[in-house]
Amino acid sequence: MRILALPLLLMVFAVHAEVAVIGNLRNPSEALSAKQVQDIFLGRTRTFPDGRFALPIDQSSDLRGEFYQKLTSRPVEQINAYWARIMFTGQASPPLQLPDDEAVLKVVRENEGAIGYVSKPHADKTVRVLLQLN
Amino acid sequence: MSCRFQEAGKGVVGERVRSCVMRLGSNAGAASFFCVSLVFATSALAQDLGRNWSIKGFGTFGVSGTDTDQLEYRRDISQASGVTRSAGIDIDSRLGLQLDVDITDTLHTTVQWVARQHPGDFFEQNLDWAFLRWRPAADLDLRVGRLGFDVFMLSDYRNVGYAYPWVRPPHEFYGGLPVYHFDGADIAHRFQVGDGQLTLKGFGGYAYYQVPGPFSTLFDASSALGGASAVYELGNWRARIGYVYTLNLSDPPFGPLSSALDNPTVNAFWPGASGLKDDFKVKNAAVQFSSIGLAYDDGEWLGQIEGAYIDSEVNLYPTVANGYFSIGRRLGSFTPYVLLGIAETLNEVVDVPPLLLPVPQLQAFRSAVDQALNGNGVDEKSVSLGVRWDVYENIAVKAQWSHYWLGQNGTQLWVEPASGPTPDQVNVWSVGVDFMF
Repeated sequence: MRILALPLLLMVFAVHAEVAVIGNLRNPSEALSAKQVQDIFLGRTRTFPDGRFALPIDQSSDLRGEFYQKLTSRPVEQINAYWARIMFTGQASPPLQLPDDEAVLKVVRENEGAIGYVSKPHADKTVRVLLQLN
Repeated sequence: MSCRFQEAGKGVVGERVRSCVMRLGSNAGAASFFCVSLVFATSALAQDLGRNWSIKGFGTFGVSGTDTDQLEYRRDISQASGVTRSAGIDIDSRLGLQLDVDITDTLHTTVQWVARQHPGDFFEQNLDWAFLRWRPAADLDLRVGRLGFDVFMLSDYRNVGYAYPWVRPPHEFYGGLPVYHFDGADIAHRFQVGDGQLTLKGFGGYAYYQVPGPFSTLFDASSALGGASAVYELGNWRARIGYVYTLNLSDPPFGPLSSALDNPTVNAFWPGASGLKDDFKVKNAAVQFSSIGLAYDDGEWLGQIEGAYIDSEVNLYPTVANGYFSIGRRLGSFTPYVLLGIAETLNEVVDVPPLLLPVPQLQAFRSAVDQALNGNGVDEKSVSLGVRWDVYENIAVKAQWSHYWLGQNGTQLWVEPASGPTPDQVNVWSVGVDFMF
């Protein structure tokens, strides 16, 4: 049983494994590091490394937990507690949340400064993959 | 957690406005009609993405109790009553609502009101934030209006239980802070320093606050204040150093006491009584807060330590040195933690001269004066064990047990009895649920 269960388990993980951080095609950044993406999504910086204004787009879907777990090694509860401190002290608001990959792709295609994340198979040629989280 | 929207449509909006301007040049009439329809299309797009305002909130429902009836345990000295052996829900339970509006790309307003146990004006005293923020550059914020009192690491989000692991902020450190907000301005500038972010902040303004006073049930206090802080965040670490100067602008209503101390008959039997008047002065006396703190959180382990020296010229609010240390570890959705706290008064004892003759009424008066001047010390140590259980992604259940060691004349942070001894040790238990939406 164990021998059979292990590959099966790995396959289940593999289905959920990859998240692509995406930007607009006109965004001059070719790639970003995990730390740079983290700083943008946690509101530590409001710009890309080249100084351009960054507009992070979050999701309200199940992918959200996976994205933050892979990016920060923290569950979504900790991310929410972090933002509770920032937003209820009037410093900043957390990134806008959109319902699914489709909505994120649409905004990223249309906005030069937008940066979002989608499950990797959804990251098509209309956007630029800035970072892959496995 | 749905927020900021306007900017989401910015790219598209910008393009449409540019195309509008180009068309205006060629055919003004048709173009203006076209532009009007585009404005509607643009706001429709903004609607698709969301709104430019949001309402968020947070709250706690908590129950706590102690094993004594001789002292009442309160969250901080802004509360007029606390819990005893008969448990209560009102020291920690509260509900906060926050409205955020993006007025333009650089202007933002935030209003936050928190329903909580407060002996003062329920609407005005519980309005903690109401400001206009201008962000002329990505790393520069200027805010004007009502702002949270940012004196220690947790002081401007003490109400947001969801944001910290404990049931309430460490009692020895935050229990002595009745000021939640002030009216004024602050400026914060963020710098990239090494791999981390350094935030320098300065603020100043006027604080009006109502606290349970020594001679009446409510004391209208006000002070002018100014301060600065530096926060450095690097990876899992956050360090903060801060200084605040406050100058009291009002005296508690001690008129009757003052005239009694001036009374010639009183002074005949009690030489030096009139000289004690100055020891009650609050107005024009300064209180200075210096603090340093460090927090660590790697997702698994979390630790926090903070120390402060509160230098006070007010005898009714004595000089205190305090600190706390906490360590916790996340095990799945459970975070057990330990918290140690200490606070000690460092003020000199005010010398209250003796009576010439033991007149009973004067003896009572003298001991009341002695109690008022010297009986408000803080001598408190505690150890707490607790657990936070994240039951859902915006709901946490907490339970905490604390054991307090209290020196005689060291219970200022508690609601003290009118007379009689106070217990040396008290156990406090608390359970509660924190949430945000």
